[in-house]
Amino acid sequence: MAIVNRTRDSFYDQGATFDEERALDRVRQVVADGADMVDIGGVKAGPGDDIDAAEEIRRTAGLVALVRAEFPDLVISVDTWRSQVGREVCAAGADLLNDAWGGHDPELAEVAAEYDAALVCTHTGGLAPRTPPHRQEYDDVVAHAIDSTLKLAERAVSLGVDRQRVLIDPAHDFGKNTWQSLELTRRLDEMTATGWPVLVSLSNKDFVGETLDLPLGERLTGTLAATAVSAWHGAQVYRVHEVVETRQILDMVASIKGTRSPARVVRGLA
Amino acid sequence: MIVTAAVCPHPPLLFRELSGLEDVAGDLREACLSAIASATSDDPDLVVVVGGAEVTRRWDERLAPDVAKFGTTGARSAGSGLPLSLGVARRLLDESRWRGAVELHSIAWDAPADEVTSLADKIAARDDSIALLALGDGSARRGDKAPGYVDARAFPFDEATGRALADGDTDALTQMDAALAEELMVGGRAAFAVMATAVHRTVGNKAVVHEKGAKPRATVLYQDDPWGVMYYVATWQLR
Repeated sequence: MAIVNRTRDSFYDQGATFDEERALDRVRQVVADGADMVDIGGVKAGPGDDIDAAEEIRRTAGLVALVRAEFPDLVISVDTWRSQVGREVCAAGADLLNDAWGGHDPELAEVAAEYDAALVCTHTGGLAPRTPPHRQEYDDVVAHAIDSTLKLAERAVSLGVDRQRVLIDPAHDFGKNTWQSLELTRRLDEMTATGWPVLVSLSNKDFVGETLDLPLGERLTGTLAATAVSAWHGAQVYRVHEVVETRQILDMVASIKGTRSPARVVRGLA
Repeated sequence: MIVTAAVCPHPPLLFRELSGLEDVAGDLREACLSAIASATSDDPDLVVVVGGAEVTRRWDERLAPDVAKFGTTGARSAGSGLPLSLGVARRLLDESRWRGAVELHSIAWDAPADEVTSLADKIAARDDSIALLALGDGSARRGDKAPGYVDARAFPFDEATGRALADGDTDALTQMDAALAEELMVGGRAAFAVMATAVHRTVGNKAVVHEKGAKPRATVLYQDDPWGVMYYVATWQLR
């Protein structure tokens, strides 16, 4: 799942694809690079300029329609917590609502049900949208993430969302410090063992930066290490900035696990 | 009596599942299947397979190739399967249209002349019409990236083998230098010798009709060393 931001201020790309044509170019590039999904966002995850629902719709719905027209089979996700936005982007052709703020707007799941869309249920530790963590405490962060996302998932299903179209996301760094994100990664198998497909969003995040003491732009290696561990534990969707590298990691881990054939084997077998 | 003979190599890569997503040995496998189709086109009573292995013995033809010992994600089969050369033959025969009887013999890599002759005589003495399939490779020392690195002597040695296969020259194959063949990591010396000896017996004893007298009509379908090991695919028609 490749990240496509129509924002001026997202932490990693800093507005590089804010322009609609640039965002569409990014979609073309990530599809060529091997992405199976795109995740279009109109609001920076962290604190920043106020973007109301109307502006968020203006940024995302039009792009969704353009991508839908050009890539009929691509899975289009929109990263939003607002049901008004969800409604507009589903009408424009979105397949998946990435509720990155964990059910803050309870009507978003109803929109997913109404449009037969998929839904990502995310653990935020109870934080309001765009709020950074502060002294966040958990007795057991993994248990908390599982409990919270499963409640959201079951609620979504009870509202009519297709059970096959619900994913859960422990949401690294959302309502978590670096220790807590590392523990989620280490114990991700507990989350995949629930049977719900797990989405992880690790790409270039602060827990990688703090762990390796590296600034933005130097976190790819750490991101890929966390990606490999998550893949080993059975995560199924990876929300990423770098598609080619992620695809290589996932193919490599799948081959180590034995679920994918290597591309071309000759050594020692001639 | 032997009516046809065929030669195929036995790299593990002929097992399709071992090369991953890409079928690296597709052309080689096609050549092998053509050779088997040609060798069995006259409906012989039996296909007799001879391939190199650690020991000389007969093998149960119901045994499966033991592919998993080379890898893949499949589980090892319970009990041991066929040795590589016979396993490749078994697979090729399964992939071919041949559904008739099969008999599998291994010949020790270092089998001395009497052991070669003994097996060859047993095959040649039979009354049923036989397609003889010999599994063997040339030298594995044909380049910097070859399994045995490079040995300049491999090239004339393999050329001579190729010429003998192309000419239906049973004497040349019977008289290959066993010690040199071992040094050059030649994987077909003993099997080729069994084939040549058995064919020679058949041609000599039965006076099988052939335009050039006591020589089979030979066709080489493949002769190349894509990974530093020489592979030959050939057929010999004896009538």
